[in-house]
Amino acid sequence: MSKLNKIAKKSTWVDMTAFVDLSFLILTFFMLATKFKPPEVLKIQNPHSVSSINQPEKDVFKVSFDKDGKVFISFSPDKDGKEKAQLTAEVLSRQKGLGLTPGEIATFVNFSVGGIGVPIGQLKSFLALTDAQYKEFSQPGIPVKDTLNNQLNDYLNALITGTGGRKPENVMLNGDNGTEYPYFKNVLAAFKKNGIFSFKLITALEGVPSGTPLYKKQREGK
Amino acid sequence: MGADVSAPDSGGHKKGPGVKKQARKDTKVDMTPMVDLGFLLITFFIFTTTMSTPKAFKLNVPDDSAKEEEQNQAKASGAFTVLLGKDNHIYYYEGQLAEDGSNFKSSNFKDIRAELLRKKASTPEKDLVIIIKPNDNSVYKNVVDMLDEMQITDIKRYAIVDIFPVEVDLISLTEGTSPPAAPAGGK
Repeated sequence: MSKLNKIAKKSTWVDMTAFVDLSFLILTFFMLATKFKPPEVLKIQNPHSVSSINQPEKDVFKVSFDKDGKVFISFSPDKDGKEKAQLTAEVLSRQKGLGLTPGEIATFVNFSVGGIGVPIGQLKSFLALTDAQYKEFSQPGIPVKDTLNNQLNDYLNALITGTGGRKPENVMLNGDNGTEYPYFKNVLAAFKKNGIFSFKLITALEGVPSGTPLYKKQREGK
Repeated sequence: MGADVSAPDSGGHKKGPGVKKQARKDTKVDMTPMVDLGFLLITFFIFTTTMSTPKAFKLNVPDDSAKEEEQNQAKASGAFTVLLGKDNHIYYYEGQLAEDGSNFKSSNFKDIRAELLRKKASTPEKDLVIIIKPNDNSVYKNVVDMLDEMQITDIKRYAIVDIFPVEVDLISLTEGTSPPAAPAGGK
């Protein structure tokens, strides 16, 4: 009886060390593999495509539109992106007579990482916001639907003029699945009008269906 | 837990000096809270992490200002026009649209690939051109899906073109007559 009791007592202790080792190994993996999503002002569900090119991160100019047709522009936070954002703001201020102060231009550069989506008329008052207010502020989007008043065209024109034709290396289009075609068409029209004929659409990865010509091509290539 | 149990246990039936008792005390540390913490953090990282990074899909659009002769070059026999309607419906016709709309057919994203491949196989490569015409109430996803289809079927020449009013009428006519659940042949 007493022997039985002893055995029972011994078995209650479980050595957790291996468990800890394992959990911290997984933890380390996740910490290293994680890349936090940059703050986005728009909620966008990208369409899928078979394209497997990784999204570039340097010198990016991005036009995003959500399913309600709100259009936003943003620049990458690196040196090239910031420089282009600044030039855009300066030229836009001059062309449209906005009278932006250097401080407001700096704010434009700052906000341009997260996304700017206000009509040009509202730009000056928008740039008076603080960082905290920016996060709360619901931006109406850049008007594009009306072909006569396609203000994305003005933004793009300022960008192209400001950089003197040195276009951003990566012009990206970030669209939502449910956006109606006319918005996309007008965004395309603004690009074409400013001589940007080559850009990249942001999509989510999808496997190549087997048996299709692309599938065969990839198999042969490998 | 094990330490708690073993301490009075060893003190119960041993009469040695207290120093020795201390030395013999269990060195095991209870790891359970550590495991809890570890898994809590793992859960946090799993939820915040984004494993699927977005990909970039290259798109080149033609310069509209120099398109006239480009458009004329497309032979009617090699043209295949895909019209995008709403609710993922697709309509297509080969060559030119017949006056009475007899070659205007309805399809969906599953079947269109076979049609494209059939067209590709039966047409000389230099003549083949796919014309994509999104309707005003088609969505961005459908346009990208169609461009993607061009990649999948390995078709080099395709263009996004504005839709004609006649075609809009045909689409609305078909959408009005056939139930949206079954996009049967609109012959």
